[in-house]
Amino acid sequence: MRAVAMTKEGNSTETVRLLQQLNKNIEILSTKLDRIIKIQELLTDKLSPKEKPSYEGLPLDVATLLSLPDHLRKTALALSELGEATATDISRKTGRVRAAESDYLNQLVSKGYVAKKRKGHDVYFYIEAQ
Amino acid sequence: MKAIALHSYKGGTGKTSISANLAALYADRGFSVCLLDYDFRAPSIQILFKTKIRNTLNDFLEEKCEITDTLHDVSDKYKVRGRLHVGFASPSIDSMREMMTKDRRWEMKALHRTLSAKNKIHDEVKADFLIFDTSPGVSYSSINALASSDFVVLVTKMDEFDMAGTRELVHGIYDSLGRKTGLLLNRIPMEQFPLGAGQKELEEYMAKIFNLPFLGIIPCYCDIQMNGGKSLFALEQPKHPFSQALSEVIERIEHHLKTV
Repeated sequence: MRAVAMTKEGNSTETVRLLQQLNKNIEILSTKLDRIIKIQELLTDKLSPKEKPSYEGLPLDVATLLSLPDHLRKTALALSELGEATATDISRKTGRVRAAESDYLNQLVSKGYVAKKRKGHDVYFYIEAQ
Repeated sequence: MKAIALHSYKGGTGKTSISANLAALYADRGFSVCLLDYDFRAPSIQILFKTKIRNTLNDFLEEKCEITDTLHDVSDKYKVRGRLHVGFASPSIDSMREMMTKDRRWEMKALHRTLSAKNKIHDEVKADFLIFDTSPGVSYSSINALASSDFVVLVTKMDEFDMAGTRELVHGIYDSLGRKTGLLLNRIPMEQFPLGAGQKELEEYMAKIFNLPFLGIIPCYCDIQMNGGKSLFALEQPKHPFSQALSEVIERIEHHLKTV
């Protein structure tokens, strides 16, 4: 009986030691992860500095238009002229394919410059203040 | 219809005088022309045309009237062979101050109205040419006019300040808007004005450093300065070298408009 009790005591000591070792390893891992996150933040800041102005969500005026990449600017300018339009209307104006215009219009929606609504089967894009 | 905007980096390049005289020459060639004063910071076309103004372009942008309500037919007054309509910016200080306080949402609507005005002028006035006179530098009204145009006449003097800023305009604004642009050198002092082969050399040099087509080079004429916006010089004195130079500018613009 005494031998069995000693074995049980030995097992529990070993378990505690293992848990302590595991805890120590987790702490080391956590420190390393913190360092990786810190390096990643520094790299992200270097690649896209925080002072770079964000125009997202601002009105689609000429200042915003000039900040857009060329492909989106062409779409946005066509929509500024039409006021409200489907991707097909914009495609007629820009001379580019409807699928591309639909994609560009949805990018403008996700950036908050443009809104869209459904009328029957058609989706109309518009500039909100108009 | 083709829309042409006259723009410059700095003031005092002679934009207003050139835009009014270009519009008059086009109209005298038998075209239907609309000239719009988009220089809301320092409107001056009304001084040249001396017409009683009904509705202004400020009223149009404020949604108080339609673009056609702002157009004043001055064809008979100047006895041009075609039609000449002019839209004026309000010359009152209150209006100029009011325009300075507009927010970005208002400017967004102003862009939409300017772009729509172009279509209305084409459909209802049957204009062949729409000419915008703009304020110098980067202002909302100027860029709205540039964005609504098919071709930009960039007017510059031959001084370092003007030319350095003009290069910035080309890269920062015209290229971004994808507007075809031509360069016009104006008010060149007679002492600097090249003669003979020197003129061709200067044209090639300017076209190269700005990477733009060259529209012409106009000397600084004392009699134009003396006229000081009292009349449409090109109509009054069609044989004057200034008027002849502008006619050549028209030919060159025509050439570039064919590819727009």
